[in-house]
Amino acid sequence: MDLSLVERENTLLGQDFLTWLWFKTDQDAVLFKLEDNRTFTLHMEQKLSVQGGEGETKATATVSSPAGELSEAKTGLRTGKKVNKAQLLFAMDQDEWLVTVSATDFGLSGLKTPKISTKDDEGDDPDAKFLEKMFLLERCLEMFDVVFTQFLNLRLSKDWAEESARVKLWING
Amino acid sequence: MSILSASLGLTRYRIIEEVPTELLQQVPEKLKQFCMVDIDGTADERSFGWTNIDDMLDMNWTASPPEKADYFAFSLRLDTRRIPPAVLKKHNTIATNKELEHNKEQGKNFVSRDRKREIKEQVTLRLRARTLPIPAVFDVIWNASANRIYLDTTNAKVRALFEDHFTLTFDLHLEPLTPFFMAMDILGEEAAPRLENLDPTIFV
Repeated sequence: MDLSLVERENTLLGQDFLTWLWFKTDQDAVLFKLEDNRTFTLHMEQKLSVQGGEGETKATATVSSPAGELSEAKTGLRTGKKVNKAQLLFAMDQDEWLVTVSATDFGLSGLKTPKISTKDDEGDDPDAKFLEKMFLLERCLEMFDVVFTQFLNLRLSKDWAEESARVKLWING
Repeated sequence: MSILSASLGLTRYRIIEEVPTELLQQVPEKLKQFCMVDIDGTADERSFGWTNIDDMLDMNWTASPPEKADYFAFSLRLDTRRIPPAVLKKHNTIATNKELEHNKEQGKNFVSRDRKREIKEQVTLRLRARTLPIPAVFDVIWNASANRIYLDTTNAKVRALFEDHFTLTFDLHLEPLTPFFMAMDILGEEAAPRLENLDPTIFV
C-alpha cells in the first residue's frame, strides 16, 4: 500500500480521534465499557498539543497546565488546528493509568500503570512482577482500544455529521 | 528490566502473516541464533541482537527462559561506540601536525587531502579501539495468542532496527499499530476502501 497514503490516513484518523476525545471527555465524566462489562472513565490531562497547516506552514501549540485549564489549546482549535498529542488518564475502580498518545502513530509515551509491588518475597514466582505489569499494561491498551473502536464506528457512520457539528459548537462555545 | 519501569514508552505491532505453531516452538532457538554479539574486544562501531530480558549479559538464556506464561519476553540490545567529537578533533589535529612536521623536514609545506583523510581514518579506528561501547536495552514482549508485539520505545531509529532484525530472525513481518492499521485491524479488510477515502473533518 502507498505509504504516503497511510501516513495521511494515520494523521487524519489520529487527529480526528484525539480532538473528538477531548470534546467527549470535557463535559461530563463519560463511562466507557469493556467487553467484560467493567466500566472506566477517561480524562484529558494537563498536557496537550494542537497542530495545523501542512509542510512549511505547519504550526504546533503545546499547552501544559497543572490546573487542567487548556484554553490556549482550545483557541488553537478555533483556528482549525487539531489535537496531535494528548495526555490521557484512564481510571477504573481505584486504579489509574496515565499515558501520552501521539496522534500520527499512536506511539505511547510516559505510560504509568498503577504501581506494582517491587519487593521480592521468598517463594514468589520469579515472573510474578513481570506478569502483573503485563496485566496492567494490556488493560490500559484494552481501554484505549475500546475508546478508539467507539470513535471509529461513529466516524464511519452517518451520525458523524451530527457529532462533528456538536464538536464545532463546543469549540466555539 | 525496563518494561517494569514506572514510566515507559511503547510501540505496538501485529504480525502480518499467520504464525505456524512450529515456528513458535523455535522462538528460543532463533533468539539464540540471532543474539547480541559482544564487541568489547573489537573496534566495531555497533552491534545489536537479542538478549535475555532478565539479564542483558545472558545471550544464552541460562538465567531464565524467554517464555513467561503466555508471552515471549526478550530484549533487543544495541551497543554503540561513540567517540566524542572534541576528542576526535584533538587527536586528529595532533596526528596531522606530526605529519606536517615530518613533511617539512622533507621540504614539503603541506599535508595532501588524501593523506589527511587517511590520518582521520586511522585516528578514528585507534580511538574506537580505546572507547567502550555503550549498551542500550529495549524490551520486547510477544503475546502470540493475541498477535501483539510490544516494543518498549517509541524511538524511530530503534523501531526500524527492531523491525528489520525481527524479520531477519523469524521471517515474519510487522505492522505498527498506527491509527490507520489499527482501524483496519478493528474493522476488518472490507473497511479499507472507506478508510482510504476519508476526508478530514472540518470542525470550524
